[in-house]
Amino acid sequence: MSVELRLILIASLVLLAGLIGAIWKFTTGRARKISSGEQVDLIELGAVKDGRPVTALTTKVTFLQFSSDYCVFCGPTARMFGELEKADSNVTHLEVNITNRLDLANKYNVLQTPTTLVLDRRGFVKSRIGGAPKQQTVIDQIGTFDI
Amino acid sequence: MTKNSSTGATQIDPRGPRFGATIINVLSVVIFFFATDKATEGTGAILFGIAAVLFAIGAIFGNTKHPFGWLYRTLVRPRLAPPKELEDSRPPQFAQGVGLFVSLIGLAVYALAVPYGLAAAAAALFLASFLQAYVGYCLGCQIYLGLKRIRVIRSA
Repeated sequence: MSVELRLILIASLVLLAGLIGAIWKFTTGRARKISSGEQVDLIELGAVKDGRPVTALTTKVTFLQFSSDYCVFCGPTARMFGELEKADSNVTHLEVNITNRLDLANKYNVLQTPTTLVLDRRGFVKSRIGGAPKQQTVIDQIGTFDI
Repeated sequence: MTKNSSTGATQIDPRGPRFGATIINVLSVVIFFFATDKATEGTGAILFGIAAVLFAIGAIFGNTKHPFGWLYRTLVRPRLAPPKELEDSRPPQFAQGVGLFVSLIGLAVYALAVPYGLAAAAAALFLASFLQAYVGYCLGCQIYLGLKRIRVIRSA
């Protein structure tokens, strides 16, 4: 292969990588509306909050964050939700590590972590956020609930 | 390097693995350049072998024991401000495992004399290291669960 052709290929690779990076940056952390009417089974979920199993949702909005052990953005995302929860009594944050809960990963079709389900008081899934959401995305989500 | 009190996982400066990915990114371009010409393909394979050894060290012993980790701590980190935030050491260690896997595939297809097989593996390595180094993309976040769900990875 000629040197020119190899350099063109390398330049194409750089462009391709930049394009993939830009697409990922643009699409990650966006909220998608869910209208399938799926309801989260809290018993099966087995979430724990402040050392107690969660058996009922008590606030208007619950952010259910699925995390894993191999996740860079799960910790910062959980911290952001935690701060919002402290500031707004209508908000609850639940985090479930699904590294060893493939049943949940399959049921909710979780491919990447963090993945966040936005739930109403009865546990119906209203939206879904794949990747680490920006704080504004989450605030907009809270705004879609009639508070 | 500190321990996270809640998970017990080692916490590292997130810029360390990105520094390592930058070196791998440059190396992958060099390998690609060599691998796309018959006369220099062997040199590319040797460099890929070196990359495989580095990935193996990172995957088995973790990024802090990796030569690039040491390089980062002694040469780069003293010149930088302290990290704003530490990160879990497991995702970058997983990424090292993925790098090792890609390197072994590359060396295997080279050994089987697949045309441009080594170059294709170098291209894959380039894409992954580029995204980690410059975009902050986290490979483990994106594919770990998927691989586990299709049973490529067994439960630990």
